[in-house]
Amino acid sequence: MEDQECNALDIVDCHAHIASEEHTPMSFVEGSVANMVAAVSAQGVPVTAKKLTALFMSKMQDPLCDALVAEMDEANIRKTILLVPDFTYTLKDCRLTIEESYHKHREVLHRHTGRFEVFGGIDPRWGKDGLELFERSLLDFGFRGLKLYPPCGYSPSDRSLFPYYELCAYHHVPVLLHMGPTSPVLDFNFASPFLVDEAARLFPSVNFILAHGAVSFVEECIMMCRFRPNVYLDISGFQATLGYDPAATAVKRVVSVGLNHKVMFGTDFPVFRLQGTQRDFVEVVTAEAGPLADLNDREKSLVLHQNIARLLETGVSVAA
Amino acid sequence: MELDANFDERIMGLIASGVAGKFKKVKITGGTSLQKELGLDSIGMLSLVFRFEELFEVDIAQMGIEINVAKLKTVEDLIGAARDIVGKAQVAKES
Repeated sequence: MEDQECNALDIVDCHAHIASEEHTPMSFVEGSVANMVAAVSAQGVPVTAKKLTALFMSKMQDPLCDALVAEMDEANIRKTILLVPDFTYTLKDCRLTIEESYHKHREVLHRHTGRFEVFGGIDPRWGKDGLELFERSLLDFGFRGLKLYPPCGYSPSDRSLFPYYELCAYHHVPVLLHMGPTSPVLDFNFASPFLVDEAARLFPSVNFILAHGAVSFVEECIMMCRFRPNVYLDISGFQATLGYDPAATAVKRVVSVGLNHKVMFGTDFPVFRLQGTQRDFVEVVTAEAGPLADLNDREKSLVLHQNIARLLETGVSVAA
Repeated sequence: MELDANFDERIMGLIASGVAGKFKKVKITGGTSLQKELGLDSIGMLSLVFRFEELFEVDIAQMGIEINVAKLKTVEDLIGAARDIVGKAQVAKES
């Protein structure tokens, strides 16, 4: 039955990354692994950070996204949005400059025609150069949105981002922002959804997507979506909750509050590759008794592909 | 390739050692769900893998074996995967 459900649906994954250490600095990974080492050690298991890091990195060897496309096919995911978080200003062990990272993403776009869109990330502290690169990403690289990672050390409503939002308004592309705690090498003070409020109010024609809205600050994300017409959320990272909540109750919560025109499916590939494949994660969400079980077909379509497709097609903020 | 006659019991013992709190009262059988009935989350599963490696003196990553944790739903699934890994390790040792 799960197979039939999986095959019958049109699915767009609105939140994923290239699985390669070229785009994710080791300091970021090692920070996340430190939390895992603490949790595993607490169970009396002798494990080293080196071993866990090696295990995680074994799943980060897909720079051209060939394995991801195979997993998308198996999971019936028609298209995936690849996000390029810009860690290069804050974390100094990045292998590539952000411009080099953009080039690698463009290569993937060309290699797998029609399977991906890319949202380019920029740390606003790169100033004029960053702004020019972001506009080039839209005009020359074919990217379709802006990715921001506020825990790198800036508020999403910081004035330095306004020129970016003006560009987003002009080119009708959305902004997707990381929400909630992340690798401990970064600053959680900037991870709150309410920090997006001023930007969303001042730029009503720009659509803002709160990433991980069913994982961190769930009620705050719901409030923002309910009261700001141009704010949306994605459920990526829901896999983090499956250990203690196999029924994905938080996902069920965000699709049960009358906001299904604002909720988007996402996986955060490759973060959870040790836990399963894209197909496994699609099955959790679309299972007969899964978190979308009470939605009608139209609502399921909105969550699984139509909401993100609408933002990519029209760009402009349209109350659904 | 013959495995230890008590192999399944050893794996069940391993699982039991990683089960916490309220789940300790659950009777472990082949059909017991690792996640829903024994509360083994991703960290619990990871710990189980490391305990397994220690007990049987194997290094799964070094053997080039990929484990899809999402497919390990029941105790029986885990025993099957463990049999496979230990079997391969024995073959590698003897060759």
